[in-house]
Amino acid sequence: MKLRLDKVTLRHGDAAPLLAEVNLSLDPGDFVLIEGPSGCGKSSLLRLLNRLQEPASGQLLVDGEAVIESATPAFRRRSAYLQQTPVMLDGSVRDNLLLPFRIASTRRSLPSDQTLRQWLDRFLLQAVKLEDVAPHLSVGQQQRLALIRLLLTEPELLLCDEPTSALDDDSRRIVLEALQQANLETGMAIVLVSHDGLVLDKVQPRRLRIVDGHLEEA
Amino acid sequence: MNVEPISWWQLGLCMIFVIIAGTGSIMLKLRLEKDLAWGTVRTFAQLFLVGYVLKWVFAIDHPVPVLLLYVGMILAAALNIRGRIKQRQIPFFLPTFASMVVSYLLVTTLVTAVIIQVEPWYKPQYFIPLGGMIIGNAMNAITIGLERLFTDLRKRRAEIELMLSLGATYPEATEAILRDAVRAGMLPSINALMTVGLVSLPGMMTGQILAGSPPMTAVKYQIVVMLMIAAATAIGSIIVVHLVRRRCFTRAHQLRV
Repeated sequence: MKLRLDKVTLRHGDAAPLLAEVNLSLDPGDFVLIEGPSGCGKSSLLRLLNRLQEPASGQLLVDGEAVIESATPAFRRRSAYLQQTPVMLDGSVRDNLLLPFRIASTRRSLPSDQTLRQWLDRFLLQAVKLEDVAPHLSVGQQQRLALIRLLLTEPELLLCDEPTSALDDDSRRIVLEALQQANLETGMAIVLVSHDGLVLDKVQPRRLRIVDGHLEEA
Repeated sequence: MNVEPISWWQLGLCMIFVIIAGTGSIMLKLRLEKDLAWGTVRTFAQLFLVGYVLKWVFAIDHPVPVLLLYVGMILAAALNIRGRIKQRQIPFFLPTFASMVVSYLLVTTLVTAVIIQVEPWYKPQYFIPLGGMIIGNAMNAITIGLERLFTDLRKRRAEIELMLSLGATYPEATEAILRDAVRAGMLPSINALMTVGLVSLPGMMTGQILAGSPPMTAVKYQIVVMLMIAAATAIGSIIVVHLVRRRCFTRAHQLRV
């Protein structure tokens, strides 16, 4: 899937635009790092790429064509979005990990408990049981669960909003490693948003910055 | 008719009640005197106005004025709902009004034509008061349901957007919220079925008994009314909450509120 933002402008109310005529192309296998101070529009950019939000002008093109409005849910399954604050619904860790698979219209087949267990262990969540109440876990644990939830669906593009903000050094290293591995092995395109520099040792990311609403090469 | 008539002089005597309430307000500095006075004036004015309209509609005995009055009552209820709900982004008035007209006309006609079998079905002595009870109760149910819907959509925004971002359609992302809103609207009329007669005698039954009906007739009418209200609030809440939820999302399944 090739994704393109074409002269996209986003504004809230009458204020100066948060993003002004932004152009961005994403190809399979891309690894993009977007930096900039908080409030500069990084999160909004990801929301646009998951089409949770509509731009004031400009458009989002998938393989050169605009997404039909009614096909948005199907598009979102290919372009997965990790929210900045992890959201866990009432229920167990298992329920939350299987959430994308239980959405009737998505028709994905359920991964086994064994698969879920392997993912948890890999992300240093050995102490977390599948039966644990997900909203009771720490923010750092929830953040990793939310990421696993998306990786399980094998999206073509993964949009991550500050995926390591609540993590200690070990967990942070594991998460970044897993993202790089997914990128290298499956060609999953990844857009990572962060307000501080992240160290990536396996891939050479494209580094972009948002300055005064414009997207610039860093 | 064996109802004791109330003369103008006797009605004037009722001012004693207003004076009692007003004195209480002045003594305790509740500052409710003005509202009480205005409320009293409005009670007289509104009820007499309705009285004259009813007298006129009853005299004509034709379906058109009956239905016009009925739709007018629904319009007043829909405006009341709009006033009570603090939500200006989503235009919910028209779907609310339209679905109220369709579903309540249906329920009221069902009651007069099929259950009570009044001849003709639009006979205003039956159609208007029965319809009024449906509209009044359903108005509350719809208000509660919509209020709950809007509150939850705002409060549970992160949860909804999580579901949407995972590829859920807007009905899938708001399944639980829709259910909660409809339930909240329906509960009062179902609770009323549980307590009717135990806590208080319903107004219509009281009225019929005062008007000289045998208690058992009044009771049967009241049962019809209670069940009819339960059905009407269910239909009203379900249709209105569904239609309004639709308007809270763009065609690209994005949350608007």
